[in-house]
Amino acid sequence: MNLLKLFLGPRDLGQTKASGLVIAAFVLFLFALPALISDYEAMNFAYFLANVPLGLSMALIWGYCGVLSFGQVAFFGIAGYFYGMVAGNMVGIPGSEIIGVFTAVGMSVFVSAILAYFLFFARVENWIIPVITLVFTLLLETFLAQTAGYQWRVGTVLLGGYNGMTGIPSMRFFSGDPLYGYSFYYYALGFVTILFVGLRLFINSKYGLVVVAMREDLQRTELLGYDVRVWQFGVFLLAAALASFSGILYVQWGNYITPTQLGLVAAAQPVIWAAIGGRSSLFAVFVATVLMTWFAFTLSTQGNQLSLVFIGAATVVAIMLFKDGVVVSIWKKVSALIGADRKT
Amino acid sequence: MDLVPLLVSLLYQGLTIAAFLILCSIGLMIILGMMNIINLAHGEIMMIGAYVSTILVSSGLPFFATLPVCFIVGCLTGYLIEQLFIRHLYDRLLSALVVTWGLGLILAQGTLLIFGPFMPSIEIPFGSIQYGDFTFSVYQIFLVAVAFGTLLGLHILFHKTPIGLKTRATMQLPEVARTIGIDQHLMYSLTFSFGSGLAAFAGGVLAPTTTIAPFMGTQFVAPAFITVVVGGAHNIITGTLYSATALTAVKTPVGMFLGAFAGTVGLFVAALILIRLCPNGLSSIKVFRTR
Amino acid sequence: MNIIDENPRIREQNTKIENESEESSDNPSSDSRREFIKASTVASVALAMPAIITSDFASAQSGGPVKIGHLEDLSGNLAVYGLQKDHAAQLAVAEINAGLTLKGGPIGSGGVGVFGSTATQPPLMGTGSGDLNYLDDGGDRSNETVAYVEDDEILVESGDDGILGRPVELLNLDGQSNNNIWQQLTRKLIQGDKVDCLVAGFTSAEREAIRPIVDQFNQLYIYTNQYEGGVADANTFCTGAICEQQVIPVVDYMVKKFGPRIYTIAADYNFGQLTAAWTKATAPLVGGEIIEEEFVPLEVSNFSTSIARIQAAKPDWIFTLLVGSNQSNYYPQAAAAGLEYPMASTVNMAQGYEHRRFSTPSLNRMHNCVNYIEEIPTKRNRDFVKRWYEMFPDDPYIGQMAQNTYFSVHLYAKAARLAGTTEQEAVKRALETGMTIEAPEGAVFMEPATHHAGHCIRLAVADENHHVSFLREWPMITPWWLQRMGVNLVGKKEYKQYIPDEDPYFTMFSN
Repeated sequence: MNLLKLFLGPRDLGQTKASGLVIAAFVLFLFALPALISDYEAMNFAYFLANVPLGLSMALIWGYCGVLSFGQVAFFGIAGYFYGMVAGNMVGIPGSEIIGVFTAVGMSVFVSAILAYFLFFARVENWIIPVITLVFTLLLETFLAQTAGYQWRVGTVLLGGYNGMTGIPSMRFFSGDPLYGYSFYYYALGFVTILFVGLRLFINSKYGLVVVAMREDLQRTELLGYDVRVWQFGVFLLAAALASFSGILYVQWGNYITPTQLGLVAAAQPVIWAAIGGRSSLFAVFVATVLMTWFAFTLSTQGNQLSLVFIGAATVVAIMLFKDGVVVSIWKKVSALIGADRKT
Repeated sequence: MDLVPLLVSLLYQGLTIAAFLILCSIGLMIILGMMNIINLAHGEIMMIGAYVSTILVSSGLPFFATLPVCFIVGCLTGYLIEQLFIRHLYDRLLSALVVTWGLGLILAQGTLLIFGPFMPSIEIPFGSIQYGDFTFSVYQIFLVAVAFGTLLGLHILFHKTPIGLKTRATMQLPEVARTIGIDQHLMYSLTFSFGSGLAAFAGGVLAPTTTIAPFMGTQFVAPAFITVVVGGAHNIITGTLYSATALTAVKTPVGMFLGAFAGTVGLFVAALILIRLCPNGLSSIKVFRTR
Repeated sequence: MNIIDENPRIREQNTKIENESEESSDNPSSDSRREFIKASTVASVALAMPAIITSDFASAQSGGPVKIGHLEDLSGNLAVYGLQKDHAAQLAVAEINAGLTLKGGPIGSGGVGVFGSTATQPPLMGTGSGDLNYLDDGGDRSNETVAYVEDDEILVESGDDGILGRPVELLNLDGQSNNNIWQQLTRKLIQGDKVDCLVAGFTSAEREAIRPIVDQFNQLYIYTNQYEGGVADANTFCTGAICEQQVIPVVDYMVKKFGPRIYTIAADYNFGQLTAAWTKATAPLVGGEIIEEEFVPLEVSNFSTSIARIQAAKPDWIFTLLVGSNQSNYYPQAAAAGLEYPMASTVNMAQGYEHRRFSTPSLNRMHNCVNYIEEIPTKRNRDFVKRWYEMFPDDPYIGQMAQNTYFSVHLYAKAARLAGTTEQEAVKRALETGMTIEAPEGAVFMEPATHHAGHCIRLAVADENHHVSFLREWPMITPWWLQRMGVNLVGKKEYKQYIPDEDPYFTMFSN
């Protein structure tokens, strides 16, 4: 019961049992979805889900902690590449994929720790962080793009340069079959649900309160006795870990990763999702990530040159009309109408 | 290879790269320094400048006559963006970043739809001069003059004119500036238009040296951001100047002797180290400060 | 449509065929497309057999339309190239649905464009010393010639309505210059739409993104771009030109004409690095040497440092392997800096039409071995260009990869007719019979063992006014490097991309 209370805590949408049911219904709907769609459509939806941890990491670092990072895709990429290197070198060994997942997350967090040290212990001004993380991401992209050829080989796996790393093993549990279609969908959904619930519990806990306090006023939080440098450092690492889960799900889904995933266009994506959903709500970002990736995909199936204009226009309209993000605003409107939720 | 021509060549390369960085970043820097807004449509506004000058040149206007038009079109575009969008976002600056990203996408893809994938480029004015083994483009030397001239002009504007004083006041202490009767919104409007105008002007003046294509703006964004980060937003002019100089001092020799990839990596690494040494940008160092 | 009014016989023919095509294809076609179909049938009226037979054949066949999935970037950074290819596919499908085809088919013994040495005189019996057994062989075998004919008319009646009596439906999607969307759309086309043939891919990154999915479902896939070579994949057919067809001829010519000292400036990614490796390995064979290699990251757009390096190195000529719109900036910047070295490339002009976009004389003395370029003066190409601009009057240029897509779609149609079915394994077997197709560039030969195409290669050069002329012509260069690597996809299925590092010959030259 305590956990339920924590889950319905004050720092996300859905703070009453009734509105908590809406969230539960949303997740249950996702679990029931494969009954309505074909195997390959399930695989497409799995891609939308695979992006959710990346969106959540942006909600955590930007929405809750107040630090905008364009570097989330870099951690996404580092994890994807490391998973490819580890699992790709151990093909056929039972459990190699699971070892790959853990190594990848570990390496990604390690790199993020180095970067976070430069950022937070130097106490740089707030606006510098988005730009320096963007520069870091672009540097990584530049480096990876020139790694074609045999000298860039780790064991049997080629980094592959701009064309990317190919043949990355799909997920499978020990000696089971590689996950594909429905089974991969449920794997991704399970993964995402656990991360979502866990993160929600964290953010509603007393630790979450410190995180939000830093967003509101860094100096006051420090005066309360918290070492904000350490706290920001920690949150940054947690966000990097979340982003790297997305990277792993992505390479397990597509068996492939390229440096373009860390490019300028890709770096802006999670920021857009978080801004459109409403960045200070995990649930809103969850929904927005799925909807936006679905929207981009649906537009592209039309073969219409206007698709990027639509995406740009949707972004502008969403930000201009919905101050707190589309999902958050709609949620508040609806719950005010039916009087179901407390005021946040 | 003689030493003197090599040194002259290195100096020329350094100056042209510094000029490129200054021209790319100055519009971004003004908007960021004054308004704290990261304008992700910066590259697209430069693209608009390049398109304006290209279209006018192909309709018969001499190239240099198009540059003021670029500036004016950039100002108008910036004014429109500020009035329609940015104005409503002063209380949430990071939302402004996302909106400018969306606008950039619309501008670039819209240009693709209207003008097609490429425009024929403008002929580079002037010729080249030779010294030792090396030849130098006169237009690149002209660009160096334009870049440093722009900085000098801004210095005069900000430090010697009443409007510059008001601008700096708004930039440093907006609340106090408001209490002494400076219209902050007007200042912001002016700044955003002026910054966009400079960006479009830079796009126009760089147009002969680049491909004229809808997504050409992206090439300017990364160098502009790095310059701005290293420079810091404390003082627009010295920030840009010192940052461009410092970055060039790393990139030119590394690039000349180790190749372009090492040059680019050197640029990034120098940016990271400089940030660690002076977290708020080179313009915040006392020695450099001109205030 | 003036021609129609002038000649009543043609008008009669035309209306007849038009009615047929309207009856047989029930997919909605726009007015402009229908006009185009009229025009193209008029153009081939000399060969027009009445289409009545084929329409009977059509009604005999059943089943829905033949689906060709076409995935290219229609928006975003790479739309420049994707739009051309999309138009090419539309043109080819419109022609197929109008009952037209490009000439060609399985080739007989000897193959197309066979090189042979001929004697100065025809051989004679019994001319020496009164001995009837003596054979005068006609003298020294000195003249290298090629058994090669080129038709002027290549678009002929197919005797078919669409493919095997079924109309062809083109599913053209937009990859938005985004690899993730590429993968999703490939799954949609293969699993959702169940396309009979997939034609897709501009960059090698896009191709590598979708190839695992293609192989998972054993989808027939045609990659139509010029690229670095090496893909040995049982499901993939590459119809673009590759290094052995483009690098060696141009390096050979340049070394002989301008001198041995080569400066390579290349894009720092797979295509640039691998093509530079090819240059490095083949230059010594023709007496050249690479004095310096410089790799430029894709996002670099200011070239003053590279230009100074080139001036310091003093090469005889420059091999530019620069890719993308940022790197195109090299040309105007180098021209402004007074850099006047001859240049060679495998990508510029034919792909991004730099000679039309940049002011003169940025591309003066740019040499490129191309399999296609819009300026090719042959009648068959002029007709093709005319057909293209009738359908798409606003297009800026027809690039190499657009022509490749155009003939590839026709090639698929021919293979399906040969197989007698659109069942994919059967069509793959048909494509492995050693087919040729008469494309606008010349004859193209689908080499069975490597799934790559033998091309008609021309050495094109731009002058100071950016007019293109042609210095040499190789009517058929077949792809041989994968054969050297022991690839035979007919006998042994593989699904990988070979890189020059795997060839001991190349590693001799790597650092």
